[in-house]
Amino acid sequence: MNDVFFTLHFTVNGQEQTLEVPAARRLLDILRLDLGLTGPKEGCSIGRCGACSVVVDGDSVPACLLLACQVQGRTVKTIEGLREDPLCEHISAALVNAGALQCGYCTPGIVSSLTAALRHNPAADVAELEQALHGNLCRCTGYNGLRQAIAELAT
Amino acid sequence: MNTTAFTPRPLTADTFAERWQPRPDATQKVRGELRYPTDELDWPGLLHGRILRSALPHARLLGIDVERARTLPGVHAVVTAADIPGTNNYGIVFRDQPVFCTDHVRFLGDALAAVAADTPEIAAHALSLIEVRYAELPVVNDPSAALADGAPALHPNGNLLDSSLIEHGDVEAAFAACAFVVEGHYRTPRQMHVFMETEGGVVVPDEIGGLTFRVGCQSAHRDREQLASILGLPPDKVRVIGLATGGGFGGKDELTMQPAAGLLALRTGRPIRIHFDRRESTIAGIKRHPVELVARTGCDAQGRILAHQLHAVLDTGAYATLGPAVLTNLTDHAAAPLYRIPNIRVSGQLVHTNNGVAGAFRGFGGNQATFAVESQLDRLAHAAGLHPAELRRRNLRTPQDPGVEGQTQQQPCDPRLLLDAALQSPLWASASSTDDSRWVTGVGMAMGAQGNGLGNGLPDAGGARLTLTDDGRIELAFGFIEYGQGVIAAIRNLACDYLHCAPEDLDIRLGDSSGPDSGPTSASRSSIIAVEALRRLQPQWRALLTSLAPPATPGLQPGPGGLRDQSGELVISYPQLAGAGTPVTLNVHFDFPTGPDATPRGRYLQLLIATVAHVAVDRLTGRIRVERLHHITAGGRVIHPPSYRGQIEGAAIMGMGMTLLEDVPMQDGQYLLDNLDAYLIPTLADAPEQQVDVIEGILGGESYPVRGIGELGIEAISPAITAAIENAIGVRPERLPVEPTTLLAAMQELHP
Repeated sequence: MNDVFFTLHFTVNGQEQTLEVPAARRLLDILRLDLGLTGPKEGCSIGRCGACSVVVDGDSVPACLLLACQVQGRTVKTIEGLREDPLCEHISAALVNAGALQCGYCTPGIVSSLTAALRHNPAADVAELEQALHGNLCRCTGYNGLRQAIAELAT
Repeated sequence: MNTTAFTPRPLTADTFAERWQPRPDATQKVRGELRYPTDELDWPGLLHGRILRSALPHARLLGIDVERARTLPGVHAVVTAADIPGTNNYGIVFRDQPVFCTDHVRFLGDALAAVAADTPEIAAHALSLIEVRYAELPVVNDPSAALADGAPALHPNGNLLDSSLIEHGDVEAAFAACAFVVEGHYRTPRQMHVFMETEGGVVVPDEIGGLTFRVGCQSAHRDREQLASILGLPPDKVRVIGLATGGGFGGKDELTMQPAAGLLALRTGRPIRIHFDRRESTIAGIKRHPVELVARTGCDAQGRILAHQLHAVLDTGAYATLGPAVLTNLTDHAAAPLYRIPNIRVSGQLVHTNNGVAGAFRGFGGNQATFAVESQLDRLAHAAGLHPAELRRRNLRTPQDPGVEGQTQQQPCDPRLLLDAALQSPLWASASSTDDSRWVTGVGMAMGAQGNGLGNGLPDAGGARLTLTDDGRIELAFGFIEYGQGVIAAIRNLACDYLHCAPEDLDIRLGDSSGPDSGPTSASRSSIIAVEALRRLQPQWRALLTSLAPPATPGLQPGPGGLRDQSGELVISYPQLAGAGTPVTLNVHFDFPTGPDATPRGRYLQLLIATVAHVAVDRLTGRIRVERLHHITAGGRVIHPPSYRGQIEGAAIMGMGMTLLEDVPMQDGQYLLDNLDAYLIPTLADAPEQQVDVIEGILGGESYPVRGIGELGIEAISPAITAAIENAIGVRPERLPVEPTTLLAAMQELHP
C-alpha cells in the first residue's frame, strides 16, 4: 500500500516506455495491466510454470519474478513483439504443424523460450532446445507434439 | 465388414496425412492473440474482485464484520451472504454448497465475503480488514473418522453422502470354489487439475439490469440456470459466455468465481474481474477423489475368474458437486467391465470430510477403479501361474456381452484385438534388465474400458443451431466450451464431412448460453453430440439450400463454396443463396444416444484402450522414469488426428503424474502445499516418447461411428506403469503416487 514510485524507462516490443510505477511492481502486471499486453499469461506467480515468459535482453524469463526496478533500461519482448519476427514465425509454424498446443495458454511462453534459445544459438540441437523449455509447463499435450516440433527446429 | 478398420494403425502426421491439418485456433494461440477469460482486462470501469476464504477448516461461524473493509478508499463493494438476492447455494447434483457461508464453515476454501476494488492490491488489503469470529469445531480428517460414531456431522444428513452397490451371483460361495484368491489394498491420490489458466473471468452488467459472464467454465447453460437462481434474476437476464479457456479437465465444471463476481457486479453496476491465483485455486478448487480400494478376486484352476469383490471409500470433501456421479462411474469400473465374472460384489461409499472438495476430473473415478482391477488381474495371474495376458484372454468379455449393469452396449470391437496388439508392442523387446546396472528397466501393460455420456439414465440432451447468415456464412453453433480438447477442430471437420462445405465457409460459435444448449462439455460426450446433430441437420440443410436456389437448376448439392451441380461445378455460392432473402436457421435438439433397454443403465457407447509402459527404476534412489508409452485405442473414427493423438497423450501424461508425482497432502484440514513449487506435474524432461495406434472401426457402428476420447488415455496408464515397475524390480506398488523411498525399502527387503 505504501509503494515507492519511480520512473521506469524501458523498451517494450521496440517502443520506448516511460512509466511512473511502484518500484516493486511486477513486470507481469506492468505488461498486462498497465500496457495491455495480455500475451504473457499468469499461471503460478512464482516462476515455476513459465506461462508468463518474455524475452528480456535476449533471455527468456518469467515476468512474474522481475520487478519494475529490475527492468530499468532493459529491452523486453513479449509474444506481441516477437510474432512478426521470421524466426518466431518459423517456430510457430513448427508448433502448429506438430499439434504441439491444445488450450494454448502456455504457448506464448514456450514460443518466447524457443525464440531466445534459437537466437542465442541458431544451430541449437534437440538437447539444447529441451533444456530451454525446462521452465515451461504444459498440462494438455503430454509434450509429445512439442518434441516433434523441437526435432523439426533442431539442427 | 471392413477388416482394415479393425487393424491398429499408427496415428502420425504421415499415416493420417490427409486429415492432419492444424486446429482452427492454432495460429491465434501460437501468436498470443487469443483472448482468454482472464485477459478481459480492458472493460471501462473494471473493478477487481477477491473472495475471503475461511481461516479454519471446520467451525461455527459467529459473525462477520466488513465495516473496515467497506470504508477503505478504493473499495466499491463488500458482499456477504446477507447480500444475496436469490438462493445462497449451488451444486450440479445437490445444491448444498453456499455461495457465502452463514453459520457453518466446512473447508478452508469456503467463501465468506467478497470485495470489489480499484486494484487487485486494494482488494487483497480489504480482505485483511474483514473480521470473522469463529467457534472451532473438530476437524473430520478422513472418511473413517467421518463415519465413526459421534463424528461431527458436516451436513444435516450426516457424513455419508452416497453409497453404491453392484451385485450379482453369490460372491462368498464362489470364493469358496476358487483355486486361487488374491487380495489387495489400493490408494489413489488427491490429484489437482492444474489447468494452466486458473479459474477466472469478468462479469459485465448491462443497462437493463442483466449480467454477461465472460468466463472459463464447462457449461454455459447449466451455469446460467444456477447463477440466475443465486442472483435472483430471470434466466433471460443472465448470459454466460464460456470463452475458450486455458484447460478444464473437469475442474471448471462446477461454478467457481461466477457467483461472487456476479453479486459484486450487481451491487456496483460495474464490470468485475476475478482471477484465482494458484494458491486460491488450490484451496478452493475441486480435486480428484482420493480413494481407498480393498479388493478380493479369485479364479478356478483353469484361470477363469469366478468372483470379484471390491469396496471403495472416496473422500469427497465438504460438498457434493459431482461426487455422486463419480461414485457411480467408479463402481461401474470397479466391477471389471472388461471381464466376464459371474459373481460380483462391488460397493462404494462417498464420504464428507473437511478436506477440500472433490468432484469431476478426467477419468471421473474410472481410472482409480481400473488401477485396482488391473492390479488384481496381474496378482491373480501370478498366483495362478499364468501370464497376465493369458489370464486376461481367458476372461475378456465379447462385444456381445452386456455391461456391468446388465445394459446393452455398443462395443467398438473384441477387446482381444487390443490385447493382441499390446503383446506385439515393440516396447517388450526394449526391456533389458541387467542386474549390475543402476537403472533397471521393465515393461508392463494394462487395459481399460470406458463409456461416453452422463450415463445411468441421467437427463443428457444436446443440440445445435445451423444458420446461413445474411452475408452467406455458414454459422454452426454449439453450447460446448473449447478448453483445449479440440472440440472446435472436431466440429469443423465434421461439418465439412456432413454439410460438404469448405472450412472457409464456416463460422463456429461455441459456449454461449444465448445459443443452443448442447449439454455440459464433459463425460467425453461432445463429439457424439456433434455427429448426431450434423447427421440430423444434413438432409434438412440440403433441402433448405436447394429450395433457395433458382427453380431451373435441379440436382444441386451443397459443396465447398455453395451449391454445385452433378459435375461438381459451382452453380450458386452461399453468399448468393443468402442474397435470396429468406434467412435459413435450423435447430436440432435430441437425447444422447442410449441403448435399446427399457430402463437405461450404465453407458451404451463404449470404447477401449490398452497401454504398454516401459519404465526404468533407479536402484540407488528408487526414482522411476517412464521411458516409452504405447497405446492401442478403439475409439471410433479419428475426426481430427492431432487432437485425437494429443488427447490420448495428454491424458496419459496427466495419469503418469498421478501415478508418480502428484498428490495434495492434507493435515487437519490444512493444505500442506499450495503452488507448483511443491505440487509437481510432469515437465518436458519427464515426458516419454509415445506411440498411439488406433482401431477406427466400430462393430455395427454405422449408427454411431465416433467416440469421445478425451478421457480414454488416462484409463489404463497407472496400472501399466506399476506393472512395468513390478516387471523391473519385483515390487508392485499399491499406493499412488509411488513413493521412491517405499520402493527402495521394498527392493532392499527383496535383495538385501
